[in-house]
Amino acid sequence: MSIADQALTEEMASRRDMIVCRGVKKWFGDFQALAGVDVTVKDREVMVVLGPSGSGKSTLIRCINRLEVHQEGEIVVDGVEMSNDMRNIEKIRSEVGMVFQQFNLFPHLTVLDNITLAPIWVRKRARVEAEAKAMELLERVGIPEQANKFPGQLSGGQQQRVAIARSLAMEPKIMLFDEPTSALDPEMISEVLDVMKDLARGGMTMMVVTHEMGFAREVADRLVFMESGDVVEVGTPEHFFTNPREERTKLFLSQIL
Amino acid sequence: MSEVTVPAAQRAPEAESVSPGRWVRENLFSSVSNAIQTMFFSLVLLGLLRWVLGQIFSEEANWTSVATNMRLLFTYNYPTEQFVRIWFAAGALFLAVGASFAAWNLNPMVTVRRVGVALAGTGAVSLVVGLIAPDTTPSAVRTGFFVVGIGLVALALAVLKVVPEPHRRQIPFIGLLAGVAGVICGVLWFFPFGDYGFADGAPTAESGTIDSSTSLPVTVMFLIMIGTYLAGRALARMIDLGWLRRTMIGWWVIGPAFIVFLVLRDPEFDWGYVLAVDVPMGAAFALGGGALLYLLAKPSRSELARVIGALLVALALFHWVAAFFGWYPMLQKARFSFALIAVAALLAPTFAGERAARLRFAGGWFGFMVLFHWLLTGINTPSTLDIAAPPFLGGFVLTVSIAYYVMLASFPLGVLLSLARTSKMPIFRVLATTYIEVVRGVPLITVLFFFSIMLPLFLPGGMGISDLAAVFAGYTVFSAAYMAENIRGGLQSVRRGQYEAADALGLTTVQRTAFIVLPQALRVSIPNLVGQAIATFKETSLIAIVGGFDLLRIANSTIPNQPDFLGQKRPALFFISLVYFVVAYSMSRASRNLEERLQAGQAR
Repeated sequence: MSIADQALTEEMASRRDMIVCRGVKKWFGDFQALAGVDVTVKDREVMVVLGPSGSGKSTLIRCINRLEVHQEGEIVVDGVEMSNDMRNIEKIRSEVGMVFQQFNLFPHLTVLDNITLAPIWVRKRARVEAEAKAMELLERVGIPEQANKFPGQLSGGQQQRVAIARSLAMEPKIMLFDEPTSALDPEMISEVLDVMKDLARGGMTMMVVTHEMGFAREVADRLVFMESGDVVEVGTPEHFFTNPREERTKLFLSQIL
Repeated sequence: MSEVTVPAAQRAPEAESVSPGRWVRENLFSSVSNAIQTMFFSLVLLGLLRWVLGQIFSEEANWTSVATNMRLLFTYNYPTEQFVRIWFAAGALFLAVGASFAAWNLNPMVTVRRVGVALAGTGAVSLVVGLIAPDTTPSAVRTGFFVVGIGLVALALAVLKVVPEPHRRQIPFIGLLAGVAGVICGVLWFFPFGDYGFADGAPTAESGTIDSSTSLPVTVMFLIMIGTYLAGRALARMIDLGWLRRTMIGWWVIGPAFIVFLVLRDPEFDWGYVLAVDVPMGAAFALGGGALLYLLAKPSRSELARVIGALLVALALFHWVAAFFGWYPMLQKARFSFALIAVAALLAPTFAGERAARLRFAGGWFGFMVLFHWLLTGINTPSTLDIAAPPFLGGFVLTVSIAYYVMLASFPLGVLLSLARTSKMPIFRVLATTYIEVVRGVPLITVLFFFSIMLPLFLPGGMGISDLAAVFAGYTVFSAAYMAENIRGGLQSVRRGQYEAADALGLTTVQRTAFIVLPQALRVSIPNLVGQAIATFKETSLIAIVGGFDLLRIANSTIPNQPDFLGQKRPALFFISLVYFVVAYSMSRASRNLEERLQAGQAR
């Protein structure tokens, strides 16, 4: 069994592969950010990626929707292999939602326009339909009353929830979260995590880079620990928090827990 | 977009009313050195004012030269019997101003206190002017300054005394503007301005009351503007403001085409030629192109659209090459239209969608083509090319027209150049950078000479360019390079995360640029773009050098050569400086207002 498939239950192993990374390598100049990463994310699985800063976890999930370009290895998302063909990339991007650390909402558009822009222009939805869907999503993340405000008028937690709604409006099959709570004030972290937990329970395939151990323990199906651009250990939350195998994992966990 | 209202509890407490005496003490005489500086600079200012007044009321300055030449300064030799065109265009413009004010509710409130202070200040200045005016000042004028000064100060004191809580009570700014415009109208009706016109090509001067052909229309214009504003505000509750705003933006973009047809239009315009050639050609491009785009905008045909777009690009390029070598004659309009349809075909996949979306896209093309052909027909007919007629456009109308069209045309060009310069494609980057650096390295006057004198020599047979179009093209080429640099600054301020978020949502590069990057970049560039617009407006004075009769040339050489006003340069130059200043300052204020409004919507 390869490292990518470790710690899968039999039922999980039989599910479809949503994200497959095989030997993914990436350099920034002379610095090697990813040193041959093997990871598989199954359908409806929640995978949390851990690791010290600079370990390549953000780079990895940014490669999955081609915000970074990997130089070696292959990445297959829902059966479509990532290549330089722009149409493939656009197809993958419209199937994969991404939530950023800095929210990256469009400051010149209202919350509603932020959410409906991509469905209208990429999915070619009618405006009325897209707005109804957007209101439904805002309802789901708990801030329908903010629909006509601009992002600059919202708190960080509210902005991040809008960002999640914006990604969901594209009806993605996979959601990527790149440290979604790291830029938030402590009192706002839980409101964002609640939305994410809700999403996970709904059966969304998720790959989450985070330092929120409570979230990882409660929601994750599997955890991946990365260091220096390489996967060190893969396991269930139970395995990680009770009896990690590798020394480096133990050291990291002892530092942040 | 909904209006954002800040609850009263969050507003900062209103500024306390400070008595004038305390304000002076705190700001002008707070310390010894401050007091000395205040005294010194006051004396310098007074000296300067006295010098200016000396120039204005000098016995050598004959202000009748300005008053009599008002028509010349504003419209040059535009035929009197065709004046209705200018009034019609001006009416359309004022209508649009009034409606825009209503659409965006551009009606800032001003506190009574501020009005009072402004009145008192103006009155005080008037009194000072009366006091220090030089001996050459006619006594009636001096008395006038005293009367106005005392009157204004008394009025200000009365207003501040009578109105309770003057620092809270607000009056609409538009009311003040209306008051000022009303005074101007009144002056036109009651003060003698004289008339200067052309009869059989020879100048004729008459002093006396200005023709009712001016005072009546100006008053009507003023009433139109106020009326539209009030009607717009009254209807604002009934109609969709978003719709009105979109309509007004559309109007400000297509309005020039409308005005070109009515005002800039050559009096020698050849209707037969237009009906036989221009109209059918425009219709063919508008209808045929619309039909083609409707077919190509089906989502399943995006491949076909790319192929046909590429073929059309090749065809368009070939037409330009053919023009260069003079292989076969073709109107420029047709060449431009081929290039445009090629670009539109390439854009078709981006706008592809349901039937309604396709119809909108095709309809957009149709409207655009109609306006495009209309504009080019208005400005560049064969009749303008062939007949060496004296310039029919001049004065303030020429200055404003050229400035407006140049801004309108160089803006999209500047946007494209800045995008090309920041593009990842080396060929675009190199071309744009070369263009920008070459144009920025050449004086404007050289560009203008090139377009008005040298370009016609290079053009192959069957092609020509009118003086006006040449000047317009030269300015546009020049201004676009600067616009591009201003917008590039804005592009660089858009954060990387914005690009990433747009990419992550699956937007195409065109969509990302149009919906995410440019709106943010342009917002940041507003101050620089307005600066550029002001510069363009003032630089139109260089038209004088390539043969146009703009404000500067009329003031500097036409008026001083009139038998009645030989050598009278100063009054006219002073007057046109004032005109330039008023327009430029209004633009500057408008841009500041726009920035504040945009910032109020979205704090970063």
